[in-house]
Amino acid sequence: MPRVQREAQVTWEGNVARGNGAISAATGAFENLPYSLAARIEKLDGKTSPEELLAAAHAACYAMSLAGELVGAGHAPEHLDVQARITLDQVEDGSHRIVASELFARARITGIDEAGLQQVAAAANKGCTFSALIEASGTVTVDATLEGGTDGD
Amino acid sequence: MATDRKAEVTWQGDLMSGSGSVDSVTSGAFGGLDVSWPARTAEPNGKTSPEELIAAAHAACFSMAFSSVLAQAGHAPEQLNTSATVTFQPGEGITKSALEVVGRVPGMDASEFEEAAVQAKENCPVSKALAGVPEISLNAALES
Repeated sequence: MPRVQREAQVTWEGNVARGNGAISAATGAFENLPYSLAARIEKLDGKTSPEELLAAAHAACYAMSLAGELVGAGHAPEHLDVQARITLDQVEDGSHRIVASELFARARITGIDEAGLQQVAAAANKGCTFSALIEASGTVTVDATLEGGTDGD
Repeated sequence: MATDRKAEVTWQGDLMSGSGSVDSVTSGAFGGLDVSWPARTAEPNGKTSPEELIAAAHAACFSMAFSSVLAQAGHAPEQLNTSATVTFQPGEGITKSALEVVGRVPGMDASEFEEAAVQAKENCPVSKALAGVPEISLNAALES
């Protein structure tokens, strides 16, 4: 499959403490999302942050990976809910680092049992390219649960 | 103090023909963004993807770090225009993130500007989280 490129643009004005930025996607899917240091580490004020964008990327990446693994295991999902929670923290040397991404998945699937889901959920984490990247600087955990559906025939 | 940011995604159906949505995020700044495998790996048709969101996170993080480094050097920027282009090779992963920045920074010379840009690239938390990406490139230019 040919390689894919995706681009985003940011405009930033001023210093870090009092400056402001705006984030836009080249596809047009989102445009001029405001962000600032205060919103990133203190009060949200309706503004996004790099970590929130990473959380969205990770949840979307994992959802696709999980759908792919489930199909591979013979169980196309009816519905998946995936949350990613990214934690930014100050580390020993005083710098900030992304220390964790926690994934929570609820799956509505027919014909798979709890053990089967856990196996597939772990494989999906391995298969999500972004999980491996985050593991370079922090931890990735997966909490997967079955919802509704039936647990095998 | 640790800061948490959360995003929620729903997905229906299989990978190839199913579709999903980035429903909501902690801040409420965006939501209802559709995603699909064809849009991720072929023509996006206005849909975002994990790689585009990573590009947005990287450009945003770098710009903020760069403004900090510049201000510490006594030259707070009037404006920085940054783009990040993330390359995804299906089956392999993310192979590159390319940062390009053009800055309007009064009183600064080009070599100082470039040095500060390298420092920001090395130290921004998203760059560190992307340490496993084979190539992170940087092109920094002062607006004349």
